[in-house]
Amino acid sequence: MKRLHTLLSLLVLAGWLLAACGGGAAGGGEQKELVTSSGFVCPLPDTKLEVTSKQLNLFVWTEYIPSEWKECFTLVYGIKVNHDEYSSNEEMYAKLSAGGSNYDLVQPTDYIVSLMVKQGLIQKLDKSRLQVVLANMDPNYMGLEFDPNNDYTLPYQAGTDALIYNADTVQNPPKKWADLWNPEYAGRMVFLDDSRVIIGMTLIMLGYDPNTTDPAQLDEAKTRLAELIPNVKLFDSDSPKTALIAGDVDLGITWTGEAFTANQEVPSITYVYPEEGAILWQDNWAIVSNAPNLDAAYAWLNYTMQPNLFWLMLRDFPYINPNKGALEFAKTNQPDLYDLYMASPITNPPQEAIDKGHRIKDVGEALPLYDQIWTEVKGGE
Amino acid sequence: MLQRLREDKSLQGLLLIAPTLLWMIVLLIIPLILTLVVSFGRRSPEGEVIFTFTLDNYIRLLGLQPDCLNPFACFDPLYVSILFRSLSLAFNTTVIVILLAYPLAYFIARAPRKQRNTFLFLVLVPLWTNFVIRVYAWMMLLRTQGAINGVLGWLASLFGIPFTPLEMLYTPGAVLTGMVYEFLPFMILPIYTSLEKIDPALYEAAADLGANALKTFWRITLPLSMPGVVAGTILVFIPVMGTFVVSDLLGGKQVILVGNLIQRQFLDARDPTFGSAASLVLMVMTLIVTLFYTRKFGFGKELVVG
Amino acid sequence: MNPHRRSPFVIVMTALVFFFLYAPIFVLMLYSFNTSRTNVTFEGFITAFGPLQMQGSLVVQSPCGPFHWFCDLTRNQEVMTAARNTLTIAFVSTIVSTIIGTMAAIALQRHDFKIKPFAQLSLYIPIIIPEIVMGIGILTLFSQVFTWVNTAFNLPPDLRLTLGMGTVIVSHIAFSVPFVTLVVQARLQGFDKSYEEAAMDLGANELVTFWRVTLPMLLPGVLSGALLAFTLSLDDFVITFFTTGPGATTLPIYVYGLLRRIITPQVNALSTVWILIVLAAVFLLQRMENRETA
Repeated sequence: MKRLHTLLSLLVLAGWLLAACGGGAAGGGEQKELVTSSGFVCPLPDTKLEVTSKQLNLFVWTEYIPSEWKECFTLVYGIKVNHDEYSSNEEMYAKLSAGGSNYDLVQPTDYIVSLMVKQGLIQKLDKSRLQVVLANMDPNYMGLEFDPNNDYTLPYQAGTDALIYNADTVQNPPKKWADLWNPEYAGRMVFLDDSRVIIGMTLIMLGYDPNTTDPAQLDEAKTRLAELIPNVKLFDSDSPKTALIAGDVDLGITWTGEAFTANQEVPSITYVYPEEGAILWQDNWAIVSNAPNLDAAYAWLNYTMQPNLFWLMLRDFPYINPNKGALEFAKTNQPDLYDLYMASPITNPPQEAIDKGHRIKDVGEALPLYDQIWTEVKGGE
Repeated sequence: MLQRLREDKSLQGLLLIAPTLLWMIVLLIIPLILTLVVSFGRRSPEGEVIFTFTLDNYIRLLGLQPDCLNPFACFDPLYVSILFRSLSLAFNTTVIVILLAYPLAYFIARAPRKQRNTFLFLVLVPLWTNFVIRVYAWMMLLRTQGAINGVLGWLASLFGIPFTPLEMLYTPGAVLTGMVYEFLPFMILPIYTSLEKIDPALYEAAADLGANALKTFWRITLPLSMPGVVAGTILVFIPVMGTFVVSDLLGGKQVILVGNLIQRQFLDARDPTFGSAASLVLMVMTLIVTLFYTRKFGFGKELVVG
Repeated sequence: MNPHRRSPFVIVMTALVFFFLYAPIFVLMLYSFNTSRTNVTFEGFITAFGPLQMQGSLVVQSPCGPFHWFCDLTRNQEVMTAARNTLTIAFVSTIVSTIIGTMAAIALQRHDFKIKPFAQLSLYIPIIIPEIVMGIGILTLFSQVFTWVNTAFNLPPDLRLTLGMGTVIVSHIAFSVPFVTLVVQARLQGFDKSYEEAAMDLGANELVTFWRVTLPMLLPGVLSGALLAFTLSLDDFVITFFTTGPGATTLPIYVYGLLRRIITPQVNALSTVWILIVLAAVFLLQRMENRETA
């Protein structure tokens, strides 16, 4: 009797799982409208391209693509979308430079693009196949130093790294990078676990270029940083907002998306651009060299960058949106989202903050120097 | 040919082990040789390997400068201290794990035969959840607003005692707790196996000869279970030396251990030559500790269960 | 009989250690009913069916009530694919590594051949090698070989050798085999040969003896080794990360990536389901075993 009971429960469980496995994109078929499993109506492609590939292989940041895009793309083009994720540019770079991978599209951040070009990991874009996409882009995000003619990349999302604090628990809020050295903050801070960002902000604080290779400047930064590191409670480049929301820390350094979400969860959490200048960054689409499904890649870029699809980024991932077509679309069709986006200085930074901002660039040979500094300041007990 | 196969035991043995050997050579030995070769190389500006022969990476690890003639003057203990820190964490973890695992293994070994497998599976079940999720569970327990503080706060409110939440997460204690938790089952199983093999007749004989509980334990149980303890130590000590996830998530990445160092070299620093050298040094160290330990206490391959 | 049996110290310690082992698991399962979407602290049980007010001014339609996150989970195609992949890889690698590992153990225990010491030593390598070194080493190897083969034979995109399920399975076998071999070897060490000798005396040849006497007696060791291999494969992250390719994501990789970004209780729901399935399987096995021995 007991055996039967156990067997039955196991069967129920298995059956439930199988049923779940069977679930997927609903709709399609006879209907004219293509609808995803979440009820989103897929727009038709503005420019439908000829695609012979059977699948598309994406290698992208964790949680950075609205699920509706993949479903709609599959419904419209009938192509299977494979989707692998990474949590840092370095992981992505290590995977690609080792070779043997079969990815079509990746999303490198600005500083690693030049290295990838040099190593021949990404290919030149055929701009004739991206006319409409390029027309939708805000020129402020095009032609940046890391890819002056956008030969290799298309802007995806941009953001900043800046100061964040909980106005309820921090009596004396920081206004510049230098304020972090305030002994009041000891044991209450969360920093990004990113050697380039932290060493960079120290260099900025000292008035130097965050991409310097001058050993004297780096040495000075190391000394100052060594004073600061013991005051940091934790380093987190994955989800620093968690510690803030949980009250484990009261202030620190974080980036756009995290700040926005944290602020939504706990309204007293405030993002502020330091006086010396925040760090600016930009994530971009790039096509991998020897991509096996090139036509599918172009179809994806054209389709997902459409204003009536790209606006989903506003809904799901709060970053700075370089797709002006999508913003226009949101203004008329999703006014709530648009207002929220425009009203927040996190997603819509004041021009002054952008002008004062600094970008991280690849430092080539000097990289082990930076790593050595990082190991030393963190390595001391 | 077939006849020869039937008679030649040596040939049979070779054939039996051939597939395994193939796997080991191709997927382990060759990559290891590759690592060795790379460790003697130099880093290119793009982070690639220039195949040459230089001991710079090893010299850097030992904390010496290549062009410094007096090693005592310019000794930089940075990497050596990282190594030592990892060693002490591994050592502490192993000791605590042994102290916790032994009573449990003992209990299961003495339990009625029918119940033993159930208990063993209960020990194994946590292992079948995801490694990272288990660490994450500890974060939920140890947070300032986490489960433990929640329970303590509630208890304090019952008795009217004022309560400030304990800061448990992002401390060395949290890292130690996490490590102990992760590797506890790996010690329980081998100790159980060696305890289970002890002939109950020995206990009877000891009782007959008038030995009390403590003496029996000290002179019979403990020595005979040593192979299991040794096997468990190897299964715990070595992974702890190389793990970085636990110290990252529970320690707030404040402290760099050897595992972090190696991972950083291959990813963030893009210096595979230095990373390879560090990996080899780590392997040699664990090999030395393992050899010393097994030589002293005798290697029992007590990994069999049931 | 045994003076230690009822020792209160042992019983108390055992209870404490089991509590220690399962407290986090319990908390994990508890949080899968959390109303807080960011899952940082436990805000309370989801109680209602229908429209659900969650923390952070997010209102969600929840026909599943307290099981909201479980329903959310089933709608997540990626998790299902990852789960399927994980199980496939675990099963295949376990079967292969158990077979060749057992063969190797027999060879090492009962045969003598020239390269025996080398073979024995090489089996210890995966145990002492840091996973990241092994992962990167294997990745480099595959990449070099694949690139060479792809260009030398000028393979079209469909037939190109790439990273994927195949490479992951092969890598998993690599780290599982030594454990299987060690376990079976240990079993063989304490082996009582008299049964085999008796069978041979009764006229059975070597093959029959092996099949009907040796193997059944060896089975507990072989199964232990298989169990170990299965466990190692299920949970592996580092090596899988470096050897996987498009469409071959496993559960640990997916979860690790998810945990590092958005930590919704969906992850907890997944763990809860996983644990319940495992527990159910365990009890089922227990029932079956008890019936056999009864």
